Amino acid sequence: MDRQTFSFFVGPSVFIMLALMTLPLLASIVLGMHFITFRNLDAPQWIGFQNYTDVLGDPEFWDSLEFTLIFIAIAVPARIVLGLLFALLLDQITRYRGVFIAAALVPFVMTPVVGTLIFRDMFDRGGPYWYWMQQLFEYRLFMNSTTVPLLIIFHSIWTATPFAMIVLFAGLQTLPQESLEAARVDGATWLQQLWHVAIPHLRSLFIFIGLISIMDSYRVFDSVFVLTQQNPIYDAETIMYYNFQVALSFGRLGKANAMSVLTVLGIFVVLIPFLVLTYREQTEED
Amino acid sequence: MTRTDNPIARILIYIALALFTVYNVLPFAWTIMNSVKLPKDANARIPRFVFTPTGDNYSELWLNMTPEAFAPYGLALILIFFVLVVIALSANRIPAPNSVVYIGCIFAGVIVAVALPDIVNTAEFYDYLINSVIVTVGTLCVSLSIGALAGYGLARFRHVVSVYILVIALAFRSLPSLALVLPFYYLGQLSGLYDTHILLIFCLVAVNQPFTIWMLRSFFMEIPREIEEAAMIDGAGRLKSFVSVIVPIMWPGIITTGLFTLLLAYNDFLLARILTQINWTLPVGIAQFTGGEDPGHVTLAAAGSVSVTLPILVVIIFFQKYLIRGLASGAVKG
Repeated sequence: MDRQTFSFFVGPSVFIMLALMTLPLLASIVLGMHFITFRNLDAPQWIGFQNYTDVLGDPEFWDSLEFTLIFIAIAVPARIVLGLLFALLLDQITRYRGVFIAAALVPFVMTPVVGTLIFRDMFDRGGPYWYWMQQLFEYRLFMNSTTVPLLIIFHSIWTATPFAMIVLFAGLQTLPQESLEAARVDGATWLQQLWHVAIPHLRSLFIFIGLISIMDSYRVFDSVFVLTQQNPIYDAETIMYYNFQVALSFGRLGKANAMSVLTVLGIFVVLIPFLVLTYREQTEED
Repeated sequence: MTRTDNPIARILIYIALALFTVYNVLPFAWTIMNSVKLPKDANARIPRFVFTPTGDNYSELWLNMTPEAFAPYGLALILIFFVLVVIALSANRIPAPNSVVYIGCIFAGVIVAVALPDIVNTAEFYDYLINSVIVTVGTLCVSLSIGALAGYGLARFRHVVSVYILVIALAFRSLPSLALVLPFYYLGQLSGLYDTHILLIFCLVAVNQPFTIWMLRSFFMEIPREIEEAAMIDGAGRLKSFVSVIVPIMWPGIITTGLFTLLLAYNDFLLARILTQINWTLPVGIAQFTGGEDPGHVTLAAAGSVSVTLPILVVIIFFQKYLIRGLASGAVKG
């Protein structure tokens, strides 16, 4: 394929990405240097880096970042461990596999807003989980600043475990049979097979799931919006949610743009090693 | 890996997986129950699994009138709609070109969708559905067509430029979408495009494009070059051989990518919430049920939840193997 045909094929897509992603991103940086509210949309006022220093000095920003990091620290390992556990269980059986997988897709494909609404109902007063907790453990669940953040994390585990499970299950089907056979001949137990053959083979998948999970957890928004019912008393704001509030609830558009630029910088710290890795992988293929 | 022969262990495995299945589907099953309950059953202190079902919540959600006023014409139109879907799904067995069948069905479907509100006096929720369908279909068409071209180009042009584009796209994939949507919001307000379908569609296309080209490219890489080279020797140009030779054998890959695009566009809440004011899509419409003390609120929210979820579940169950293959393709390559 020559250069001209290549530009013809790739042109529209690159144009869309340039016009609709690169430009807005640059616009974000510039808008972040203005004081903008709903009242002066057409006449923004230049204030330099004041919005950026404002955000960095805002304790709520750091609180929301802290909760986002806690969220990632709990949810990402939990998804991978649970996903691996159920993938290993699925690997043990052959009957009804399809049924188990199809059922696991339900929380995964469900609209997040709806999924959270449904999830909340289960734990709300009169919901089955609420009732069973009360009956079995004599624990009365209230929505407060401890339980709501936990429910937000639990909800994300509920929706994302099936993804990890299906990816890891597919990975288990591609284990090198010779190594497994060799391990069996040497009398390796199931646990030893898992530890010495399966887990090393699945390593790149753990990285793949981990990265996707980190990226998605970093921008979690929908479930916070629904589970907190936009009520600040639950103290469960993630960085995206706080950013949204600064933009639409407080109407500080300039500060919100500055904050989103800073969050983009934040995710790049995690991402750069991965991008370098991908670059190497792709150039080696050629 | 070695499978256990121990019968007790096998029983325990099945029990664990059964519990996992219950944990996955129980919330939705509970919501389906709530959606056909009377408010007094839904608000009971002890969860009620046995009750007298009612369809009131659905008619309150979808219609402005009482069910008695539900004209037979309305029912007839809904029936026609289902017949159209069945015809479209069995297009292969109909002695007419597939494209004619599809276009006819789509055309008739649009007429039914437009005529319905005049006949049965639908509520706002119906408008949200129409908005969601327009935005989802628009995003699918734009995203897949330009994404397929780009994915093909990137798979065939072995040059460092392709790698740059792919790596930058990957970086875009990870961006918090708020960083993109806030300037859109600002520019939309200034240009008057705020609250239009077109702005939302293009925003969704942009957010989705990095993922689309990566996924389609990996499917194109699996197609041997010889196939289109043969067509090109016969005198077809690149574009012609792409459309007439590559695309027909690429359908599974396009469907798989399309499913993920569909999920993204249909499920999106943040972008639609920011870029629309009255032209809400279904997720924004349903989010209004997140508060409120009205006792009828739980059942109405449940009816809304089921209404939003059923279409997507039907599509996913129908195309399940493509979705699972798409998820697993990350696995096989890794």
